[in-house]
Amino acid sequence: MNKIITLLLGLLIYLHAEEENTYKLGNGVQIASLPMYIGGYISMDYYHTDDENRYRIDDIAFLSYGNHNKFSYMLEVEFQELYTITETDGHTVTQNNNRLEIERLYIDYNANANYLLRVGKYNSPIGFWNMLPINILRETTSSPQSTYVIFPTFTTGILTSFSSFKHEEYEIDILLQHNQDLDSNYNNYVVDEHYGFGITYTTKNDLHLKVNAGVFNNIPHNGLASQNLYYALLSAKYENNNFEFIGEIGSQRSKHEATTNYAWYTQGLYRFQEKHITVLRVESYDDKMNNNFENIAIIGYTYRPTYPIAVKVEYQFHSNWSKNKFLSSLSVLF
Amino acid sequence: MKKTLVKISIIFVCFSINLSAQERYAIISNKNLGHLSLSQIKAVFLKKVSYIGDTKMIPLNLNSRSKIRKSFEKNVLKMNLSRLKSYWIRQHYLGHRPPITMKSEESVKSFVKKIDGAIAYINVKNIDSEVHILYEWSD
Repeated sequence: MNKIITLLLGLLIYLHAEEENTYKLGNGVQIASLPMYIGGYISMDYYHTDDENRYRIDDIAFLSYGNHNKFSYMLEVEFQELYTITETDGHTVTQNNNRLEIERLYIDYNANANYLLRVGKYNSPIGFWNMLPINILRETTSSPQSTYVIFPTFTTGILTSFSSFKHEEYEIDILLQHNQDLDSNYNNYVVDEHYGFGITYTTKNDLHLKVNAGVFNNIPHNGLASQNLYYALLSAKYENNNFEFIGEIGSQRSKHEATTNYAWYTQGLYRFQEKHITVLRVESYDDKMNNNFENIAIIGYTYRPTYPIAVKVEYQFHSNWSKNKFLSSLSVLF
Repeated sequence: MKKTLVKISIIFVCFSINLSAQERYAIISNKNLGHLSLSQIKAVFLKKVSYIGDTKMIPLNLNSRSKIRKSFEKNVLKMNLSRLKSYWIRQHYLGHRPPITMKSEESVKSFVKKIDGAIAYINVKNIDSEVHILYEWSD
């Protein structure tokens, strides 16, 4: 723990020194004149239910990226759930996790305007939410269940992308994994194979439509048997200067039965002032594999004194009322 | 009849003055870069595209207080300041940097002339025969 605090203090001192020149919060810093930038993010959250209170330093992550000619790289390492205090029925449990996990590590080759080849561990390019999954980049502390139950959130392997921006914008992604995860602790499924594709179409009015489908082999863990799981996801997003609407619906099945009949959410957000955002999200899922079925409505508010700092509160209304929950968080991108 | 003619003349003069007061801007490159569609220009400035053909693209911004930059963001990118801030914060997470910022139209123009793939926006009245106009708009 002391090492982590020293590391953070060192980084803050470095950033403060850089601030004299060019540093802006949320933009990272360039290392000397090298094609290398570093940055990161922190998030802390709190939730309250009828039975439980939890205080958590959720994420402390460091990013490094850069490019040279047609090559670029990305490294993201993270202490996840670094420090957690849970109070249940008068009992307090404290947990530490000092293990540094590799969240992303990949090299890109930009062949030309249209083709990109990526090798390494990356966010699976499935749906829209999964591409920007960290607290500071979204407007609610929580993420929809459909972003956890349908597909592996990370893939370790190859990604090829074809994109065109000539008139209207579209992109085709093909992702291939035929090996172990680079860091299997940091994925929602433990997989050794994952094959999928996605097609994204964007209209001139900033309406984004996306379809994804694929199959992955879920290797045995936590009592789950090894099996091939097939998924499909449809997503839509519309954004203008004041509003954003996003929705995703997906399903997952094994060879013999539906493992998640459906999981969907739709979310609208309204920036009523530059620093103030309100959010309404409705979601529902029927997860047969884990025997979970729920309908959830969420209202939330985000205050961003400056964009890279977010203070959020939300209240979740669950169909199972005992799960109703209040959440709040503070997150910073640096 | 005379009065009507005078009125029409006044309206015409006022309209002409208004037209001439409207500033015109252009996105420019050097002469080695071919035609780019508006979608491609937006993609280059938002760093969705790094290369056009084999040419590495280098979009240039003017200072954030610049009137031309504000007009460019409103009329070409069609994004307001808070949406752009949100966009570039997200891009930082994805490993992309915002365009380089330069202080004056003169400096962007001389950079564009010398460097293949550089594109920038300036006032039409500052354009000379050594640059190639990719797109024009007015306030």
